[in-house]
Amino acid sequence: MRVLVVEDEPDLRKQINRALSEAGYSVDEAPDGEEGEFLGDTEPYDVIVLDLGLPKVDGITVLNHWRQAGRDMPVLILTARDSWNEKVGGFDAGADDYLTKPFHMEELLARVRALIRRSAGHATPILECGPVELDTRTGKVTMDGSAVSLTAHELKVLSYFMHHQGRVVSQTELIEHIYDQDFDRDSNTIEVFIARLRKKLSSSLIKTHRGRGYSMSPPGEDV
Amino acid sequence: MLSRSVSLRLILLSLIWISGALAVGGWVLSTHFRNHVETSFDFGLERHIEEVLSYAEIVDGKLMMNHRPTDPTFLRPLSGWYWEIIMDGVVVERSRSLWDQVLPFKQVPKRGEVIGFFIDGPRGKKLRVVGEAFSLPGYDKDVYIYFTGPADVIDTSTEEFTETLVTSLILLGLGLVAAVMVQVLLGLRPLNLVRKQLASIHAGESDRMSGQFPTEVEPLVDDLNKLLEHNAQVIERARTHAGNLAHALKTPLAVLSNEADRSQSQAAVILREQVQIMNELVTRHLARARAAGGLGVPGLRADVGDISSGLKRTLQRIYQHKGEHGVSISLVNVRGQDVVGDRQDIEEMLGNLMDNACKWAANRVRVSGERVGPDIVLSIDDDGPGIPEDLREDVLQRGKRLDEATPGSGLGLSIVVELAELYHGSLSLGESDLGGLSVRLQLPAA
Repeated sequence: MRVLVVEDEPDLRKQINRALSEAGYSVDEAPDGEEGEFLGDTEPYDVIVLDLGLPKVDGITVLNHWRQAGRDMPVLILTARDSWNEKVGGFDAGADDYLTKPFHMEELLARVRALIRRSAGHATPILECGPVELDTRTGKVTMDGSAVSLTAHELKVLSYFMHHQGRVVSQTELIEHIYDQDFDRDSNTIEVFIARLRKKLSSSLIKTHRGRGYSMSPPGEDV
Repeated sequence: MLSRSVSLRLILLSLIWISGALAVGGWVLSTHFRNHVETSFDFGLERHIEEVLSYAEIVDGKLMMNHRPTDPTFLRPLSGWYWEIIMDGVVVERSRSLWDQVLPFKQVPKRGEVIGFFIDGPRGKKLRVVGEAFSLPGYDKDVYIYFTGPADVIDTSTEEFTETLVTSLILLGLGLVAAVMVQVLLGLRPLNLVRKQLASIHAGESDRMSGQFPTEVEPLVDDLNKLLEHNAQVIERARTHAGNLAHALKTPLAVLSNEADRSQSQAAVILREQVQIMNELVTRHLARARAAGGLGVPGLRADVGDISSGLKRTLQRIYQHKGEHGVSISLVNVRGQDVVGDRQDIEEMLGNLMDNACKWAANRVRVSGERVGPDIVLSIDDDGPGIPEDLREDVLQRGKRLDEATPGSGLGLSIVVELAELYHGSLSLGESDLGGLSVRLQLPAA
């Protein structure tokens, strides 16, 4: 899952980046509205954390541009502006959630998690796919009730599949959502991760669609 | 006291000059009239002098009268109408009316001159005297002829005139004072208009002075308008600065609290607490600065219908995942129920109350408006658990004693209580027909 953090305060940006990375997200940073808008326009983010008081272009304008261009990724506004006037303005501009500073990092993580989950159409924080369960709050994975230990990258791949069950996910899409933009992307590593997941969980869990990508569906449902 | 009212000043001043001018005018007129009456009285007497002179001649150094005046008034004894002819200090002829009396005339006319004066005559009667000196052939000294008439003829007509004059002058004076009052009231009307408009600005009914003013008052009105504008700008700038400061502080506070959250040390616990306190202080003082500034700005009016529909849109979005179908908010009769106040402040109050209601509601929140006398009552109802009657007072009280309140609780409601008080409104809690809490926010209608 890729997250973009648009925040002009470097310390806060670093803190959010660290917290999100530790929670298993791939994080990109933008220090101002201009760069934020560009990244949001060009990269497929699963959620964007957007400050409102930004240098160059303010957050509401950035959000308006994205929505006008038809970009519908979930956007969480993170701002010091806590009046209802500004909240109404933020939601009217197309925000999906609104968190005011100062905030607790757990709260931010919970909101980000909920946004990703909801945008993928899931109502509960625990995702299921046949015998596999993923608790999005803790990142714990169980297979038939017993815990499975996954590396950070394996968890990212599995999480993406769990969120997008029942549809073919291309390698490119997977790479875009798993790595941040600075990461040296190599499609071969995806194959490695999938092979490891099949080994740790169940070999029939992730299907390969030649030339199109991979899919994960509960047993009995085919793509 | 005199300096307090321009109208009073103008009226009193004109009262002084009107009575002064009328007194002087009256005195001049009555003196003039008396002189005139005396002159014509004297003229009558002079004609008699000429008559007597024409009858007189000197024979052997003695005066001979070949005729005597026939006017009966000079015959009636002690009538006040007398005459005397004096030669060499001796009364040689006199009127019958004088009987056995002789009138002493102290003033002696020069030849060719007529003199008039008053003396006290017989029986203490005041007399008007006219005397003339003549030279008659056959006598080398002057012959003096005096005629008198009763002075009360002059006095009576002068008094009658003065009486009429004083009456007319008093009437004229009253008329002038009335005219001055009308003039002052009409003339100062633009100033009254200015005062009334300022009062309506103070009451928040308008934000600038409008209308046609006379050229003398127009610059004052323009300056006042400029001052009002400047004032509004200064307040707006101060509020913006307060807002910027508050918001600028929140990002560093966020950094501090996040850093503290990562550590379990004693210092981190204290840091977390202090950051929390700082955040609440900033939030509360920002709200207070905004509202206090807003109170000074005239002409404030908040559209409750518009505000509540924006809040409904936002809150339904925020709470769309609550329960099975989210929270549904209904707005009843809130259109047109405008209240006095800054839009953002009213939005803050309603937002906090509606947010609270959504937080506790099972799935229904209702906002309804109602006009009660000079106020608008906005009721925010929910179908949540409500608050037991004996605890309701505490919930509102906590807002008043925010400093002692436990961090993080009740800040929203306490801001509402503070803002409501600043806007001369009130907040009360009750039981809702929906089953939960009913919050009544009462604010002056716009």
